[in-house]
Amino acid sequence: MIAAAPEQTTTPAAADRETVVAVRGLTKVFKDFWGRPKARAVDNIDFEVRRGEVFGLLGPNGSGKSTTVKMLLGLLYPTRGHIEVFGHSPRHVQTKSRIGYLPEESYLYRYLNSRETLDFFGNLFTLPKKDREARTEQLLEMVGLTQTRTRAVGEFSKGMQRRIGLAQALINDPDLVILDEPTAGLDPIGCREVKDLILALARRGKTVILSSHLLSDVEDVCDRVVILYGGRVQALGTLRELLATPDRVRITMPPLARETMQRVLELIRRDVAEDKVRIDTPTQNLESYFLDVVQRARESAETSGATSGHRVAAYLRGEGEPSTAPAKILERLAAPAPKVEAAEARPTAKPSVDDAKLEALTRSTPPPPAEVKPEPEPAADLAEANEKLSSLLNKPK
Amino acid sequence: MQRCLAIALLTWKAAFRFRLFWVLTALLLLSVVLLPLLIKDDGTARGFTQILLTYTLSVITGLLGLATLWLACGTLAKDIEECQLQMVAVKPIARWQIWLGKWLGLVFLNLVLLAVAGASVYGLLHYRANRLPAREQQVLRREIMVARGSLKPPKPNLEAEVQRLFQQRVQQTRIPESEYPELRNQLMELVQAAQQVALPGYAKDWTIDIGLRRALLKDEPLFVRVKFFVAQTNATGSYLTRWQIGPPDRAQIQDLILAAETPHEFAIPPNLFDDQGRLFVRMFNGEPTTMVIPLDDGFEVLYREGGFGLNFLRGLLIIACWLALLAALGLAAATFLSFPVAAFFAVSILFVVLSSGTLATTITEGTILGVNHETQRPTAVWLDFMLLPVFKGLLAVINVVKDFSPVESLSTGRSITWLELLKAFGQIVLFMGGCVAALGMGILTRRELATAQPQV
Repeated sequence: MIAAAPEQTTTPAAADRETVVAVRGLTKVFKDFWGRPKARAVDNIDFEVRRGEVFGLLGPNGSGKSTTVKMLLGLLYPTRGHIEVFGHSPRHVQTKSRIGYLPEESYLYRYLNSRETLDFFGNLFTLPKKDREARTEQLLEMVGLTQTRTRAVGEFSKGMQRRIGLAQALINDPDLVILDEPTAGLDPIGCREVKDLILALARRGKTVILSSHLLSDVEDVCDRVVILYGGRVQALGTLRELLATPDRVRITMPPLARETMQRVLELIRRDVAEDKVRIDTPTQNLESYFLDVVQRARESAETSGATSGHRVAAYLRGEGEPSTAPAKILERLAAPAPKVEAAEARPTAKPSVDDAKLEALTRSTPPPPAEVKPEPEPAADLAEANEKLSSLLNKPK
Repeated sequence: MQRCLAIALLTWKAAFRFRLFWVLTALLLLSVVLLPLLIKDDGTARGFTQILLTYTLSVITGLLGLATLWLACGTLAKDIEECQLQMVAVKPIARWQIWLGKWLGLVFLNLVLLAVAGASVYGLLHYRANRLPAREQQVLRREIMVARGSLKPPKPNLEAEVQRLFQQRVQQTRIPESEYPELRNQLMELVQAAQQVALPGYAKDWTIDIGLRRALLKDEPLFVRVKFFVAQTNATGSYLTRWQIGPPDRAQIQDLILAAETPHEFAIPPNLFDDQGRLFVRMFNGEPTTMVIPLDDGFEVLYREGGFGLNFLRGLLIIACWLALLAALGLAAATFLSFPVAAFFAVSILFVVLSSGTLATTITEGTILGVNHETQRPTAVWLDFMLLPVFKGLLAVINVVKDFSPVESLSTGRSITWLELLKAFGQIVLFMGGCVAALGMGILTRRELATAQPQV
């Protein structure tokens, strides 16, 4: 791991945006019954999260991630330090109407069914009945629980409980979504859906804080991360800053004729020593392979469990709801343009290609455009993300 | 309000989904149906109805009271322990609203259960009453299934008399100042005794001012209710009394043989009060022993004030006030204690309230562990010094809510007025419930909810 200075680094555009979460000198010491210090879970940490960012809280078990999240939510109180969420204390009640939270475990009422669960939480946001019903339907569809809407949550598998948990976190169309281990207990399809959802939310200018120790999840979706260990910040920055190896380059292309390959290698060896060049055949990502297999199986079999989610709920994509409040329209109009910068900063599963080197290399051997993982294009609208998700799951749009 | 109601509805759903509602309903209905088969009475319809009302209402109150405490502790403490409350607290709802929502849910649940149980008791009473001979029905509707007001003689100013006697004694005899309180106590007992006794062969007089009610009570029968104690009991346990009721020129006289230490009621003809609305009652003691008629509840005249149905409803509503307080107590305990400890704590508080008589006796005696008979001093002065003020405080608080006893009133056909109901609501729900609620809401608001780990 590349150690980074704990100073704040953000993507250039993100730096101009509104600060959603500001944490300064945050310390949490758990005490015993007699007030004696028992454990220092969080120790003097600082970070900021800006609007539209997907921010990762990384760290091994016991590093202070969940404690930090719970302090952000006002469920724990700091021993020292300062937290602001949308400019207010985390305990400010009205601020909570802008937050969605998925805890690490299913803390839902076991005797309520999916519908009742969403309706209950919708009521806490004082959503009108019509909106609650519409959103409930869309969310159940999104998380693939439409067929189990009347089953008690207590009867759900862990994965299904995560799905309904995720749905409740989004019932209010939150501006800040805090997800604590969102993919824990989910199958690969569910994991993919959650990650796509996070990306879709980020494109709408929503802020996402993702606490996880699953590095692949964080790598797939986060713009910036803070890495905690022993309650302290060990690294903080954009993934590009933290992960980039500027002295290496990787080119991916279809197999070349032996002579062509020899010529290319010769060309490269003029500048690079033999032992520094490595050639291999890339393997398919296991997640993609699994999704393909399941997709084929789904075409010929039924399941009584959760179905894979369909479309990201319309109101989360920013599409009109039947009773969209004027305030929501205003908010959407005021939301920043789809974030090119954030997408740029987000690395794909394979390392992105350095523009300058690529340019130099293509002078002699133009790379086949279809095979090179392109820099993510600025999303024109969320329909594109949805289309991508649908094609991934081979679902009708 | 939508948020509070959502929490209330959640509590309501939990009671149904965990089948608590059905179990309680079944238990309540069973107690209403089975108790009449088990209880023993004096053989009269009146006695049976009185006992039926007392037992069924007491069982209903007790059952619902314990269930309320249990459920109140469980619904909040379990939510905290199993972390569901974290999911609620991160939504835009204040902690006090969560508390209030839970309380409203419990109160609503209790109201429904109380209505079911109350309707069953009411229906059963009328069913059994309608099967009685007409004469007994008349007695029931006149004395039990009715709302009767109470008239008592004005309380004498005992303090003034005690003060007069005290001054007299102090002037006559040199008494150390340290013994003044004891002297006052003894004089008070003496004066009270003088007001309460009917010596052998002598009479005890009461004058009841009916006042403006005389127009309403014209041609209506009145009832005298009396209870007395005797200095020396006889073999039969019954004692001869002669009653002279009404103005001297047209007084009605009747002889009654009554048992001691038991309340008795007998009807007196209508219109025995004089033009100014005064009713004169004189009781002759026909026994060779002194009779003591307590000042507080020894003598009263009862009159019809209203029907039974509304009175019964008001009685149930006072019980509901009690249940609302118990719900608040359970919820408050659950805000800082785990479920079993909260339940234990709340039930303990309930027992303290129920044993307030012991508290009162301790305070009257001025010592907790009693007096050393050799030294005539309290056994543990330091304990008295520390705990007696606490007991006094507790008793003062308990007395605010304990004066309302709807079961006793209903079983004796006494009126529970709207004013009394309003007072019960104000003192039990608003004042005491409000204090407990403020404590519970305050603790819940300050509490770190995420320190609780779910039990796997």
